Amino acid sequence: MSIYLPIAEMSVNIFILFGMGAAVGFLSGMFGVGGGFLMTPLLIFYNIPPAVAVATETNQIVASSFSGALAHFRKGTVDVKLGIMLLIGGLFGSTLGVYIFSSLRSAGQLDLIISILYVIFLGSIGTLMTIESLNAIRKSKKDDAPPKRKTSHDSFIHKLPFKVRFRKSKLYLSVIPVLVLGTLVGILAAIMGVGGGFIMVPAMIYLLRVPTNVVIGTSLFQIIFVTGYTTIIQSATNQTVDVVLALILMVGGVIGAQFGAAAGHKLKGEQLRALLGLLVLGVCIRLGYDLVATPVDFFNIIGSLDGGGH
Amino acid sequence: MQKSLRLFVFATIMMFTAILPSKAESLQMGISVDQVPVSSSFDGAKIAIFGSIETKDQAALYRGEYDVVVRVEGAPEDVVIRKKERIGGIWINNQSENYEAVPSFYSILSARPLNLIANSIVLSPISLGINNLGKNIPVEGEKKLIMNPGEFSDALLRLRIEQDLFSEIPGTLKQLSPSLFRATLDIPANVPIGEHTVTAYLFRKGEILGTNRSSFTIEKIGFERWIYDLAHEHGILYGIMVVLIAIFTAWAANAIFRKS
Repeated sequence: MSIYLPIAEMSVNIFILFGMGAAVGFLSGMFGVGGGFLMTPLLIFYNIPPAVAVATETNQIVASSFSGALAHFRKGTVDVKLGIMLLIGGLFGSTLGVYIFSSLRSAGQLDLIISILYVIFLGSIGTLMTIESLNAIRKSKKDDAPPKRKTSHDSFIHKLPFKVRFRKSKLYLSVIPVLVLGTLVGILAAIMGVGGGFIMVPAMIYLLRVPTNVVIGTSLFQIIFVTGYTTIIQSATNQTVDVVLALILMVGGVIGAQFGAAAGHKLKGEQLRALLGLLVLGVCIRLGYDLVATPVDFFNIIGSLDGGGH
Repeated sequence: MQKSLRLFVFATIMMFTAILPSKAESLQMGISVDQVPVSSSFDGAKIAIFGSIETKDQAALYRGEYDVVVRVEGAPEDVVIRKKERIGGIWINNQSENYEAVPSFYSILSARPLNLIANSIVLSPISLGINNLGKNIPVEGEKKLIMNPGEFSDALLRLRIEQDLFSEIPGTLKQLSPSLFRATLDIPANVPIGEHTVTAYLFRKGEILGTNRSSFTIEKIGFERWIYDLAHEHGILYGIMVVLIAIFTAWAANAIFRKS
């Protein structure tokens, strides 16, 4: 059954999109990730114009992060103060990101930059994740003792000025790295259509040394607001958020996520991370291949009346 | 200006045809719809353009000497054509060419191939036929499509044809009787929204004898219309609305799945 997307101005198959939403929802429920970094490339592979894919996906992440954050609020694993600090950076970054997005779009380089960013981020994160989890699997086979890694020296991040106390995270930390991290993730949210959890979470753990139990909840908390804000300014400046597309993906996503979460409990953490790492690498290779392979058509055409597409 | 000029020419022709009935040759035309609605189930449409050839020369009519060609044109738009080139191993949009006043939709409906009906000296000035597009003589101060020959303009035509936005297919117009004709226009799902003009030309022996013009609109209706207008006219409001929808969906899903 086909449905006409009012903003993308194209007719699409509702079941395929619903299935994509459900599949990515399943994976995000299973791995506890937002799924934006999988959904946006999938939408692009399905010929949704990248500008619409990115902006619409931001809106879907509002839904998935809100639903995730609810659970963390109930458990009390959100550091609101740290979240708000990250958010301040995030709003700034997102504004900058939407501006970059618009200028790249009018220069005709948006699709290219989206692909390159995806290849870089998915490539490095996929590789790290796969290596780390394979090592963990190998170690857990040898001995059951969990690897305790404690870095003795304080990194320069903890020597920066303007320190603030974050009670929930039991941290006394400069606001500079927090704001910078928030800004970077905000830029990525706007340009790539991701929540940025895949950057935010490792950065919070390894660079800011936020305790693991509050990392996810705090990250989700700020993602809701950053993606919500990004959706609103994308709508105001680029008019590329397609509400019909977003709704199909959201409904598919929330249903898939429920089953994914159940499936996730049956697998071990390392195995999950290895699988996710391989999946991320797969998407990266596909996008990278499209960048270097000789295109079917060397020309492309953009008209001023074309739908939200370009 | 051009429109009123054409109207003037048209009116003049009509006037003369009235005065000189012996040479009168004219064309009547109608379209099956005034408006093509685009709703959520829109997947393209088919419309009929029909009409009659009116002439005193019934013998020529019965010999089939007359040809009708119908052109359907969408609103003019500005277009950028970009060419990808390999830079550092990656294919990047590099050179580009801009064209203005390119029809956003262009379809030629005829019974026979255009080159059998008239030659390009006749067809180019009226932009009739895909290959005669943009071959006007530039007029100062007028926004007209002028295409430089070359790979960019070739790509423009080729891509628009591939996207079903440009078409020129003989056999899309049928003579129902010596004087009555009917043309069928296939509207693709990706058709641009807005007014489309329909111009019919009457030919005999490679010359234009008459013309007639009409139009129809392709319009989003109902929900699609509302969404599109809201998104384009009140972007911030639309943004807030979609964010609230997202939050509500997540909250509802949470409530439903927590119960079960």
